[in-house]
Amino acid sequence: MSSRTHSEDGPSVPDVRARLDRVTDPELDESIVELGYVDDIVLRGPAVDVTFSLPTAWCSPAFAWMMASDARDEVESLPSVETATVTLRDHMHESEITRGVNARESFASTFPDADGDVAGIRASLDDKARVGRQFEALNELLEAGLTERQIVALRREDVSPEDGAVFVRDGSVGISVEREPLAEYVEKVEATGLVETGEDVLFRTPEGDPIPADEFDLVHKRSRLAKVNMTGQGNICDALNEARFDPDRPETYGPQADES
Amino acid sequence: MYQQDGEEIFVIDGHVHLWDAREENIIHQGGEEFIQCFYDYHTGFTPEEREWDLEEYRYYGPDRMTEDLFGNAAADMAVFQPTYLTDFYDEGFNTIDQNAELAEEYPERFVLNGAFDPRDGDAGMRDLERQKEEYDIQGVKVYTAEWKGESKGWRLDSDEAFEFLEKCADLGIDKIHAHKGPTIRPLNRDAFDVADIDDAASSFPDLDFVVEHVGLPRLDDFCWIAAQEPNVYGGLAVAAPMAQNRPRKFGEIMGELLFWLGEDRIIFGSDYALWNPDWLVETVMNAELTDEQKDEYGIELSPDVMRKIMGENVAELYDIDIEAKKEQFQSDDVTEEFGLGDHYGAPDATAD
Repeated sequence: MSSRTHSEDGPSVPDVRARLDRVTDPELDESIVELGYVDDIVLRGPAVDVTFSLPTAWCSPAFAWMMASDARDEVESLPSVETATVTLRDHMHESEITRGVNARESFASTFPDADGDVAGIRASLDDKARVGRQFEALNELLEAGLTERQIVALRREDVSPEDGAVFVRDGSVGISVEREPLAEYVEKVEATGLVETGEDVLFRTPEGDPIPADEFDLVHKRSRLAKVNMTGQGNICDALNEARFDPDRPETYGPQADES
Repeated sequence: MYQQDGEEIFVIDGHVHLWDAREENIIHQGGEEFIQCFYDYHTGFTPEEREWDLEEYRYYGPDRMTEDLFGNAAADMAVFQPTYLTDFYDEGFNTIDQNAELAEEYPERFVLNGAFDPRDGDAGMRDLERQKEEYDIQGVKVYTAEWKGESKGWRLDSDEAFEFLEKCADLGIDKIHAHKGPTIRPLNRDAFDVADIDDAASSFPDLDFVVEHVGLPRLDDFCWIAAQEPNVYGGLAVAAPMAQNRPRKFGEIMGELLFWLGEDRIIFGSDYALWNPDWLVETVMNAELTDEQKDEYGIELSPDVMRKIMGENVAELYDIDIEAKKEQFQSDDVTEEFGLGDHYGAPDATAD
């Protein structure tokens, strides 16, 4: 990834990259920075240009749209940034997505033929990511010595991911846990709207209900399955990415101009 | 047959095609994009020295296919799963009639499946009857993401699809192979959604549904449906070649499938010519789980488990008597052509 700094007033490249790190590929639930999608960050004082590309030219336009608009919003959330523009490269709809996102148009107005709106797709992928992240969080709590019964009874107010702490027995006993798996899970379960208040039960079935104690094992296994599915798709994307950018790839290949 | 350490495994490749993507057969840009996308899957999961060039990949013909499948006895039998795509390809990509060219030459080696598309209405019903009469098909492949005119796909749980499933049941076509897998350009990703299998499978308990490509990238939805519907099977095409360059991931997927479906409902398929059983069978047979995966899933890819996955499960579905086949293959046309008499233990094979 290359980058250039043009001004001392604006943000730094590490600041921008840290914000972009919060943006995930919605199908894989991994950071676009970690996945190597971000090609270039250019700083022009309080204006920032981000260029990115995806593993396949035909990667769902809706996914590409989500990543582009999330990247813009995350970078613009930096106080030192006034405007962020994003450019998608090497995609069959690169010009429509780049133009639409930067013009702050809606996905539906940019792709009138698309079936299903971005919000609906995002919600269903967020839900899968929630279940996948739950697997790591449950493992961490089991490792820390909590019982299944204690885990399913946890409410949002019983955990403090920023301190790496979980409280059981009516809050009288604090147990220290690794911060990351819990923090990542809490972030996603809150994003789905399933957990909103301190009273809400923290862990859920894939359908979104509290987990009956006798179904802990089943839900734990289904959480593992969701995790395996997401990383499995990551492996396919990764292999296609290698095939696509292989220097020996026949020249006839490439996004076609005419998609009608 | 796959042979190692005295173990013999009869291999039935559950998913093969004899396709034609030559330029003269392409009538829509989607046809070119489709074969290009297939080619990415091919090169993405094939050992470099076994990769084909694009021109041979477009069309390989029946002779080469016979040799790739059976020449070194990598596979013993194979099941043709047609893919019509007649909006993209003039004669179709691989229709039952195209696949029949080879299947009818070696009927003892191939199972020939048909296809239906509920959007074809009455004409489609009549064609399904024709397929049964002409080829006595036992199964169909359905491709819910196929484009047809203005339509960009259909669902297996629609009223129209149910009429066709009823027709299948009446005709004794009781194996329904549904392509539910990775997005293939230019087809719509959501048309590969697996959710429609649930309703279809519970509404037609006498039909068996084989979800090809185990629903990737929706393995989770697929496994959860299959765990509740005993007539739902998983076809390994696309997952299998991960054993080559993503072995850890392959192990995890096998772990999940064995956990949720069990060893009796998983079916090997190469998706030839996407991948070639010529090398793929050995790669899958040599795959091992890590110690961590063995602990996590409590399973092993033992010879007994692999024997089921590589042949016995699909043999059970299609009423194939493996022992009788072994005997038949001591002297059938394929064995004569490739000198496999010894391999199948023909009594006079060593006398030559």
